[in-house]
Amino acid sequence: MADHNPDGDPTPRTLLRRVLDTADPRTPRRPRSARAGAQRALLERASSRRLSGQTKTIAKGRSRGARSIGRSAHVQARGHLEEQTPRTLLKNILLTAPESSILMPESVVKPVPAPQVVQPSRRESSRGSLELQLPELEPSTTLAPGLLAPGRRKQKLRLSMFQQGVDQGLPLSREPQGNADASSLTSSLNLTFATPLQPQSVQRPGLARRPPARRAVDVGAFLRDLRDTSLAPPNIVLEDTQPFSQPTVGSPVYHSLPCTPHTGAEDAEQAAGRRTQSSGPGLQNNSPGKPAQFLAGEAEEVDAFALGFLSTSSGVSGEDEVEPLPDGVEEAEKKMEEEGVSVSEMEATGAQGPSRAEEPKGHTQVTEAEGSQGTAEAEGPGASSGDEDASSKAASPESASSTPESLQARQHHQFPEPAPPPGAAVLSSEPAEPLLVRHPPRPRTTGPRPRQDPHKAGLSHYVKLFSFFAKMPMERKALEMVEKCLDKYFQHLCDDLEVFAAHAGRKTVKPEDLELLMRRQGLVTDQVSLHVLVERHLPLEYRQLLIPCAYSGNSVFPVQ
Amino acid sequence: MALLTIVSQKKQIKRKAPGGFLKRVFKRQKPQLRLEKSGDLLVHLNCLLFVHRLAEESRTNACESKCRVINKEHVLAAAKVILKKSRG
Repeated sequence: MADHNPDGDPTPRTLLRRVLDTADPRTPRRPRSARAGAQRALLERASSRRLSGQTKTIAKGRSRGARSIGRSAHVQARGHLEEQTPRTLLKNILLTAPESSILMPESVVKPVPAPQVVQPSRRESSRGSLELQLPELEPSTTLAPGLLAPGRRKQKLRLSMFQQGVDQGLPLSREPQGNADASSLTSSLNLTFATPLQPQSVQRPGLARRPPARRAVDVGAFLRDLRDTSLAPPNIVLEDTQPFSQPTVGSPVYHSLPCTPHTGAEDAEQAAGRRTQSSGPGLQNNSPGKPAQFLAGEAEEVDAFALGFLSTSSGVSGEDEVEPLPDGVEEAEKKMEEEGVSVSEMEATGAQGPSRAEEPKGHTQVTEAEGSQGTAEAEGPGASSGDEDASSKAASPESASSTPESLQARQHHQFPEPAPPPGAAVLSSEPAEPLLVRHPPRPRTTGPRPRQDPHKAGLSHYVKLFSFFAKMPMERKALEMVEKCLDKYFQHLCDDLEVFAAHAGRKTVKPEDLELLMRRQGLVTDQVSLHVLVERHLPLEYRQLLIPCAYSGNSVFPVQ
Repeated sequence: MALLTIVSQKKQIKRKAPGGFLKRVFKRQKPQLRLEKSGDLLVHLNCLLFVHRLAEESRTNACESKCRVINKEHVLAAAKVILKKSRG
């Protein structure tokens, strides 16, 4: 087969002619790499010769020909399949194709390839012309220079294209000539442009346009955020009048994690609907987004709740806020959910007077704390479903009737505080305690804080590792359980180390004691040495400290 | 030694050993004892392995009961077994 390299002929016609004259019949089933390479080579060549448009057409329609031109060897390897060969198709096209340079717009290229992709399946079965029309609509990756579908598919696609052209009598449907081609294509293949985008996604999942399924929620969150942001400043201004608002504002800020109102708003929405541990943090996150007053009180309440059930396990229960809370973890969780719901409700209303919102909020919280959760809980889930404003409003006034004044006072104190800190503080669940017990003059109670927070912080590190190792979603109670287990484990560990050190007559625990402990635990065996474990689980920096290694200058580090 | 590993699970797990925390815990429990520097790291390694075993056991329990979420009971049962193993 003569190796005809395109001499820069501007028209596909000439190329086709060349192909027809020289191309050998080839089977469409070809290793895709060869085809891709051939196509690419051809494409590059064509583009170099100002045949950008033609390149695509050539690639898609005349891949055969291109291949033959580019890779004669590969071309010859292919055999021919059926009576309808590319040759015949090309011939038909040549007969019908208009002569003109074609600069295919990208838009046309894409739809054009679409149909081709689907062809492979069709082609295998038969060359039904009509049947092929639909596949033609599918995006064909062959067209795209960068995308090279499997050779077989490309072949089939191209052939299908030809077939379509032949069947429909379309003159060079695949040779879009600027917009004209697109229009012609649209006219000729009525369905071409309608569907190509869809099938294109099939071929190129990365480019697929996902249905905006979540837009509704995002919009809602966005609106909520808008409301929150618009509401936040005025609340802060109002709260400035409060004497203790500033210190409380400041302290929560320090302690709270950076929770933006944006996340808070979103969390509010989500928290309302969910009942998992995420809802707790979500609820807490919500507070930042809400009006400061609402959030301040709510966040504190939420913190109290969060602490309530967390502290039950840890044994901390000194907070006033926690006291009214039933120690039931579920109750706390439910309350938090309700809090979140009510918080979201407040958020939604937004415009409500802060005082008014405060009181119902506080009341709801208080009532919940008191234990009258029946109505509140019922309303909470109901409100979260969607009737937040209406149901919550009705509920809150009712529950507010019986709130004890002490709680109200506390909540009023808490309300003026800015919203974001409370939510953020609650997240950690450690500063939450001080927040709840906060007295007006003092930002935080330092009592339980130093003891519990660092301890919990350290434990939380291992708890996170636990959830990471588990690779499965976990309940919050399970995580508390893990904390308890870790506490017990540390106790056992210290006792054992003490025994071992005493056995060796030392008062300092050395690595040998640790190794002995691990051996007794069954972690270190004759097959698995301590160094192996160190290498497996510790990062490099620690490995270097633990495992003696020889360095230049006849030195060993660490020194043995 | 900031040890921040990017894990494929879309979570950034800090591989740093909470040295201060471990030392504080040890001191609180056994004020009369002292802990060496590298002992710190080995204790952290021990904790890692303990947590790892606990997580594996909990996961096994959860899978056996065909739950898609690890429950408190799974963790409790796993803790019983693993704490017994880790008695040394």
